[in-house]
Amino acid sequence: MASPMALPNGWSRLGSTKATVYAGLMGLLALSVLMSLTLGYKIYSLGQVFGALFAHDGSETAVVIAGLRLPRALIAPLTGAALGMAGVMVQTLSRNRIASPDTLGLNGGASLAVVVGSVVFGVQSLVGLSLAAAFGAFITSIVVFGVAASAGGLSPLKIVLVGVTFASLSHALVEVILTSNEAQLQQLLFWLSGAFVDRPINLFYNGLPVVLVGAVLGIGLSRALDALQADDSTAAGLGVPLAAVRGLAFLAVALLTGAAVSMAGPVAFVGLVVPHAARRLVGLRHIHQLPAAALFGAVYTTLADVAARYVIYPVEAPVGAITAVVGAVVLLVLLARRAA
Amino acid sequence: MAELAPSRIEVRDLTLMYGHDTVLDALSLPVPAGKVTVLAGPNGCGKSTLLRAIRRLHQGQRGQILLDGVDIGAFGAKDLARQIGLLAQSPSEPPDMSVEELVRLGRYPHQAMLQPWSEKDGAAVNRAMGGTGVDNLRHRRIGSLSGGQLQRAWIAMVLAQETEVICLDEPVNHLDMAHQLDCLDLVAKLNREDGRTIVLVLHDLNLAARYADQLVFVHEGRVRALGQPEALMTPELLAEVFEVDAAIMTDPVHGRPICIPRGRAKAKSAREVA
Repeated sequence: MASPMALPNGWSRLGSTKATVYAGLMGLLALSVLMSLTLGYKIYSLGQVFGALFAHDGSETAVVIAGLRLPRALIAPLTGAALGMAGVMVQTLSRNRIASPDTLGLNGGASLAVVVGSVVFGVQSLVGLSLAAAFGAFITSIVVFGVAASAGGLSPLKIVLVGVTFASLSHALVEVILTSNEAQLQQLLFWLSGAFVDRPINLFYNGLPVVLVGAVLGIGLSRALDALQADDSTAAGLGVPLAAVRGLAFLAVALLTGAAVSMAGPVAFVGLVVPHAARRLVGLRHIHQLPAAALFGAVYTTLADVAARYVIYPVEAPVGAITAVVGAVVLLVLLARRAA
Repeated sequence: MAELAPSRIEVRDLTLMYGHDTVLDALSLPVPAGKVTVLAGPNGCGKSTLLRAIRRLHQGQRGQILLDGVDIGAFGAKDLARQIGLLAQSPSEPPDMSVEELVRLGRYPHQAMLQPWSEKDGAAVNRAMGGTGVDNLRHRRIGSLSGGQLQRAWIAMVLAQETEVICLDEPVNHLDMAHQLDCLDLVAKLNREDGRTIVLVLHDLNLAARYADQLVFVHEGRVRALGQPEALMTPELLAEVFEVDAAIMTDPVHGRPICIPRGRAKAKSAREVA
């Protein structure tokens, strides 16, 4: 009997608005994945794509679609989803709307760990390098927050300053290590360029479970993260175990960022931009912010990857350059509005 | 009167130090059930620290704090948050959070992880917003609220927590006179109508004397005096605790004592009085 006209209050209406947002984002995601499969240096029809994915006819078209287009059409959205969710949690933890895995040095730390793992410890396997990336992101998050906190109070500005310092430091170390190990340089540039092109599909299969664990952890912490948007006294007064929640949330951020870097290298500023869009769409409760950031991030990186094929056609631009340009513009707008 | 009511909270010989500084020095304080207790004292006397210790945000080095006879250290984090609510001093939230999102935070200690939002939660939030008069602001961003509206939204957040004891740390700072009265009348109403136990830190002595059932003067980490405002608002005590030379009169409207400071009392003469 419940007709839409008889809704008791604003609640259900609010719920259906969010349902529309989710449906819209999922539709956009499906569309952008299809664009990623069909558009590029050569444009394929939907029929050719489905033929290549399900018929395996062994034609050159099928090989290109299944071997080159499909991996990036899967890795791009998964990377975007991971960085979007990591960005939401980093911004909540640091109470800073211009924080992101980049500005906190997590991407840099993950890259450094990949390079050190490969050059110093001789790690070659994809799984090993993925683990190294996650480990690097986690260690960096501990160090950055530790240094910022030990300097007396976790001021949002201080966290970002320490993070930016660590980001520069790790980039410098990466360059030093790579210039003195030319043999590894070629192999590792693959990781460090921040792109979705020429990635083997196995990276997707390795990254997927890590991203899922990070996402489940984030969703599980969503109520505590809501409360953590307030000051520490208020959050503790509500019964939030601050240290435990922060530790678990850093772990989730490290898993998500590490998985993203292990798949695509450091793709710049995705984690900065996406949370702002997610909050505008669904509000500040993490049970909605996180899924919306995952969907929006997935659409964002997939479309950026499609755009990368055309901006300097017929050559491909690195997708990290596109996300960096968009991110820099968004950052400048936020700074001008003093959102930080 | 206040002295006869059973204690809801009992602070016993609490010593609390920051590094080598003794902030609370073997302090004891009964907090009577269903009464308004106001903590007053000069800057740095330890009153805010005492309030935060009651909410277990600081741990003392010696002594204990009992809630209904049980050491507060024995409660789980959410368990204690269902008993004692705290409105922190100058609390902060992202300015783009809506009033409703803020008030919903008060339900945190009542919800298990991933437990869906219940009708009981919704009812508590609506009651809290109704009682503080912010229900018509529920979709407003808190960054767009006036100081008075914002403070009412914060009080609604604490009310949604549905605690028997409510602690407020200088809730009327930065409010104009009308909104100070709004805020404290609201707190008095919660006490009168729902019988809640209220602990307030207030700087303004005249407001403290007007709203307190039990007034507490905290001085150098100890309770210097406690009791009804009439007993505490004396020139001698004000000179000793606050170092002001004040005349005490009876407020003709409310019949409560008010003080009119003439000037600063000499610290030396204050010691002599003690």
